[in-house]
Amino acid sequence: MLEKKVTIKNSQGLHARPATQFVKVAAKFQSQIFLSRDGREADGKSLMNVIALAAPKGCELILKIDGVDEQKAMTSLVKLINNKFNIIETNDEKK
Amino acid sequence: MKRNSPKKMIKLEGIAASPGIVIGQVFKLTGDVIKVEERDLQPDEISQEIKNFNKALETTKRQLFDLQSQAKTKIGKEGEQIFDAHQMLLEDPVIIKETIDLIKKLAKNADFVYYQVVQKFQKSLEKVDDEFFLGRVADLKDVKRRLIRNIQGGKKMPLSGLTQKAIVVANDLTPSETVLLDKQKVMAFATDRGGKNSHAAIMARSMEIPSVVGTNDISELASSGDTLIIDGINGKAILNPTPSSLNKYLKKRQEYDEETKQLSKLKNLPSRSLDGKDIELSANLDFPDEVTSAINYGARGVGLFRTEYIYLTREQLPALEEEHREYARVAKKVAPHPLIIRTLDIGGDKNPCYIKFPEEENPVLGWRGIRFCLENPKIFKSQLNAILQASVSGNVKILLPMISCLEEVHQAKNIIDQVKGELLSKKIEFNENIEIGIMIEVPSAAIMAEHLAEEVDFLSIGTNDLIQYTLAADRGNQHVANLSKRLPPSVLRIIKNVVDAGHKKGVWVGMCGEMASDPLATLILLGLDLDELSVSPAALPEIKKIIRSISYTDAQKISEKALQMKSSEQIEIYMRNVFYTRFKKKIV
Repeated sequence: MLEKKVTIKNSQGLHARPATQFVKVAAKFQSQIFLSRDGREADGKSLMNVIALAAPKGCELILKIDGVDEQKAMTSLVKLINNKFNIIETNDEKK
Repeated sequence: MKRNSPKKMIKLEGIAASPGIVIGQVFKLTGDVIKVEERDLQPDEISQEIKNFNKALETTKRQLFDLQSQAKTKIGKEGEQIFDAHQMLLEDPVIIKETIDLIKKLAKNADFVYYQVVQKFQKSLEKVDDEFFLGRVADLKDVKRRLIRNIQGGKKMPLSGLTQKAIVVANDLTPSETVLLDKQKVMAFATDRGGKNSHAAIMARSMEIPSVVGTNDISELASSGDTLIIDGINGKAILNPTPSSLNKYLKKRQEYDEETKQLSKLKNLPSRSLDGKDIELSANLDFPDEVTSAINYGARGVGLFRTEYIYLTREQLPALEEEHREYARVAKKVAPHPLIIRTLDIGGDKNPCYIKFPEEENPVLGWRGIRFCLENPKIFKSQLNAILQASVSGNVKILLPMISCLEEVHQAKNIIDQVKGELLSKKIEFNENIEIGIMIEVPSAAIMAEHLAEEVDFLSIGTNDLIQYTLAADRGNQHVANLSKRLPPSVLRIIKNVVDAGHKKGVWVGMCGEMASDPLATLILLGLDLDELSVSPAALPEIKKIIRSISYTDAQKISEKALQMKSSEQIEIYMRNVFYTRFKKKIV
């Protein structure tokens, strides 16, 4: 099992749109994927669960992945989070 | 049998979503109603219930895949994407696990338990005030109804009750319902909700089913079997019409059908004046699927392909590959005629949900069109890249919106060159000589048209904004709407200057604003020597008819006379008279 601390970087936090992106990517892997925030754990393949975390910008989450393709899944998901879920922000929003 | 007294006629105003006049019987779609009863299970029934639930899940999954591929064939890529979230919500492991656990724990039937579980999540989603969430709630409801029907033994979908030709009336049509509409049986449809660009309206237009949406309460007022008139041209629905209004509409329908037939005869004739002067007639498109109907109306090319839909119908920026495919598909369809792609014109009133725009006091004078693109080169370059790659699939040209000064043209061309360089270095094919044009819609650009024309291959006049900016009057503001005239003399003069400036520098000048589609303006525009008019597809045959009925020399005289007039009232009266004497037809 792999575990890694990640920080939500996009200004709107892990809301609906980023959560959808996350679940889309997570669903591609066989491994079990969990995100936890302050002990509350969400199934990374459940949109309902991920949205319910309501993680704002700057929030630290623990990403746990367990299974045959855990290494690949970790790389993909960490990249997604660091790329702010591929959602473009304008200059104004960043301020 | 007791006879009811005739039902009262009710006239409803809605939004014209897809044109045509249809008279028929109502088929009321009551897709919203699902009945779920609570049942206790015996301990030995539980495992069978869970099996049933899993089976229903599989069935639903297959149905959704099927719908998705139908949507793809009927509507294209956009249609397919509408169903993206459906699968994700159906297969949500938390919802599934909770349902199965509760079936075991409570020993209750699957449809009841699933309903309760989804209801809980739906409520928590509904609390969030966010357009994106609301969209997911609608998807979740759609998925819920579908799965519950399947658990209950695959009860027929409500539309399967439609056995003969009828007008479908519903509160709203979900994408999955719209895509299943059978053109053989659905003569038209009317809904309470929805707007001109809701999924159902877009699909109706591409399937050519006349429809009126946004009537507010037609589904409450109508019952199956009622007589209903759908006027998809004016956005009206008339329920239980009196004999006299029925007659009126029978006549209107005949006229409309006759006119459509007449106009289709015009389709393959050139848009040429009596003395042999050609003026190119092309179409404005908001969506790629309108291209088929534009060609059917006789458009020779697309003079304005608005690309905002690609950005507004997605929840993130479009992928380059996806965008390139969309452009290439349309370019192929209209080739060898041109496809003029206008680069992204967001800001003002239309913004994608994933790009946050600053609060502006005066958004139409603010950060929109080329101004936004030049400051967001990543977005701009990606679009240019997609356009350039599509340029090998047909006759593609680039049109830059909201240009107000020379510097913007230089900067934009510079960025285009950078993208060309990147493609060259990657050995990706594109048309190196792609034509670049600018919209003339800001008065400063119109005044400087001669100098701007030196930098580009063509000019395209956008009259909607040009009128708004020239008269400093917002068309949507009722207090000043009366200032915003159809043929303001100031704007006609500006147009003349722009055409002359362009021709002096040897570039062609077109028009893609609403004025180009206005039959009252056609003779003036022909006389002013515009090279191209890009019009809304449905208006094209009539404009062509006008052009074919006059000589260019006569049109020149008419436009000269109109341009000497001092007020728009005077011009309008003059043009109405000219129109009436020539065509024996009044103009609305």
